[in-house]
Amino acid sequence: MPGLPLAVSGLRLAFAGADVIDLPGLAVAPGTLTVLSGASGSGKSTLLYLLSGLLRPDAGTIAWADTDIAKLGESQRDRWRRKQAGFIFQNFHLIEEMSPVDNVLVPIWLDSFSAAAKRQHAVNLLRQLDVPTERESVAKLSRGQQQRVAIARALIGDPSVIFADEPTASLDAATGETVAAVLQRLAREDGRTVVVATHDPALKTLADQTVQLDHGRRERTP
Amino acid sequence: MNPFPIAWASLRRNRFTAILFLLIVALAVALGIAISAQERALRIGSARAADKFDLIVAAPGSHNDVLFSTVYLDPTAVELLDPAITRLLFDEPEADFVAPIGFGDAIGNDPVVGTVAPFVDHLSGGLAEGRLFETVNEAVVGALSPHAVGDELEVSHGHGGATGTDADAAADAIEAGEAVPGGDGDHPHITIVGRMRPTGTPWDRAIVVPIEYNWAAHGLGTGHLPEDTHIGAPFDPDALPGLPAVVVKPKDLAAAYGLRSAYRTPQSTAFFPAEVLVGLYALLGDATAIMSALTLAAQALVVAAILAGVVAILDLQRQRFAVLRALGASPLFIFATVWIYVAGIVVTGALTGLVLGWGAAAVVSDLLAQSTGVAMRAEIGARELSLVGTLVGLGLVLALVPALIIYRRPVVDALR
Repeated sequence: MPGLPLAVSGLRLAFAGADVIDLPGLAVAPGTLTVLSGASGSGKSTLLYLLSGLLRPDAGTIAWADTDIAKLGESQRDRWRRKQAGFIFQNFHLIEEMSPVDNVLVPIWLDSFSAAAKRQHAVNLLRQLDVPTERESVAKLSRGQQQRVAIARALIGDPSVIFADEPTASLDAATGETVAAVLQRLAREDGRTVVVATHDPALKTLADQTVQLDHGRRERTP
Repeated sequence: MNPFPIAWASLRRNRFTAILFLLIVALAVALGIAISAQERALRIGSARAADKFDLIVAAPGSHNDVLFSTVYLDPTAVELLDPAITRLLFDEPEADFVAPIGFGDAIGNDPVVGTVAPFVDHLSGGLAEGRLFETVNEAVVGALSPHAVGDELEVSHGHGGATGTDADAAADAIEAGEAVPGGDGDHPHITIVGRMRPTGTPWDRAIVVPIEYNWAAHGLGTGHLPEDTHIGAPFDPDALPGLPAVVVKPKDLAAAYGLRSAYRTPQSTAFFPAEVLVGLYALLGDATAIMSALTLAAQALVVAAILAGVVAILDLQRQRFAVLRALGASPLFIFATVWIYVAGIVVTGALTGLVLGWGAAAVVSDLLAQSTGVAMRAEIGARELSLVGTLVGLGLVLALVPALIIYRRPVVDALR
């Protein structure tokens, strides 16, 4: 599925009366890797949650192609994420009691009763990412393999947009580079829109665009 | 959507706690089921045991005591029926047969009961082995008696564990030297000549002798003239001793009510065992209803406590649910997952409890049947299913609470 363009304008979110995000504008092209960066508490994860529809802004627009998710209700935003987005987390957040294949199929169960039609696709994705598929539990995989299962889970629905929250933070340098390369490939080769919140310099070097945040405001755009 | 794989994974994540919760629910349900099924088994068993005792005529007094002595062979002191009443009964044209019942002796723990052959045949529906007694020193045994046809037995005076009966008193009078016409107070040997079919009553363990043996053994004569050696009716009206009870088989329903009415006099009482049992069951029923309500309340408290525990456990998995939301799960999906999680514990626990309760009731029924002789079989009926259904329904409704609590947790807070 081709990536979606993102156009953000006048984005504001406040907690307890203070702005935590104040972003006048941001444009992201399909097929690019955009990194949201900044120190801890800079607002990069909050911005990621806004862009993915997990949080709703107090003001502004978050237009993914023709859909302004800032105007959608909660269930519509859930549906948008189900159909258009994949999510990767720092700590993978896999379900330990499930096999790698079943973990990859979780997004399918969110929408369909049976995931049988997608099972082979899940196996193929795991093989492409060099993850053993026969394990009974993902707990028996290495951390790098677990993160690749999480990437496969993000890809099972063939999303246009990939969100990643500190995807390399809990990996060693070598594994982190591998994951970063995968994310870059998802953008450049598959044409998806990849938005990553990270402070990993390796990822920044691969980014097509970096949004540097400080206290919720954009610092600079290299 | 399909929340089952996630709910199953969540159950496996805390499998020991889930099993513990399930067992607590199961035990709470089993307790209620066992009490309910056992109570019904006892009621049905005791009612069936009294089926063949159509109408009981006895001296005025406690119907309960007479019923327990006559049907359940429970050694209880009862007044003796005036022989004049017995004479009238033997002449009743509305009765198919009139069976005097005498007790007061035992062999070991097995009661020795005196009656007439037609009543044995009526109670047992024919013999399983041998023949009915034909002489005063012959006996038939109940289906569960350890004694075999052909055995010769020595009867001991008094009932095992008994505090005494009027027959005992009569025998005591003999031993004290007080004359009882026609009686010698001896307990001659008896020979087993037949075995009854199972009756599901304490009579299955009894040694049933001719009533003449019972009377003679207690120095009360035989109910016949001295030179008359036959057993059973007709008896000599002037030789009849007092009796603890007489079982009458009326010709029909109208005759039954007519006889019951006719023998409710200052000198006698007549009753259907069912009417006494109905009174007892009503008392038991009230107690059962209260116990059932208390059991259900206790079960509801157990479920509520477990739900509180479930909320705590699922709260530890809030990040998992937040991740599902991030992946696009609707609040309904989260709600359904938690509800299925809780429902799984409650329903499985309740069904396990149903089986455990039935098993426990079956074991208790068996033990009670062995100790009382009253055949009873614990079965799961509508009341038990209703009890489980009510609890399950309550559990499924209460399961909405943790589902709502988890579903309302903020997503982003749990993701950080």
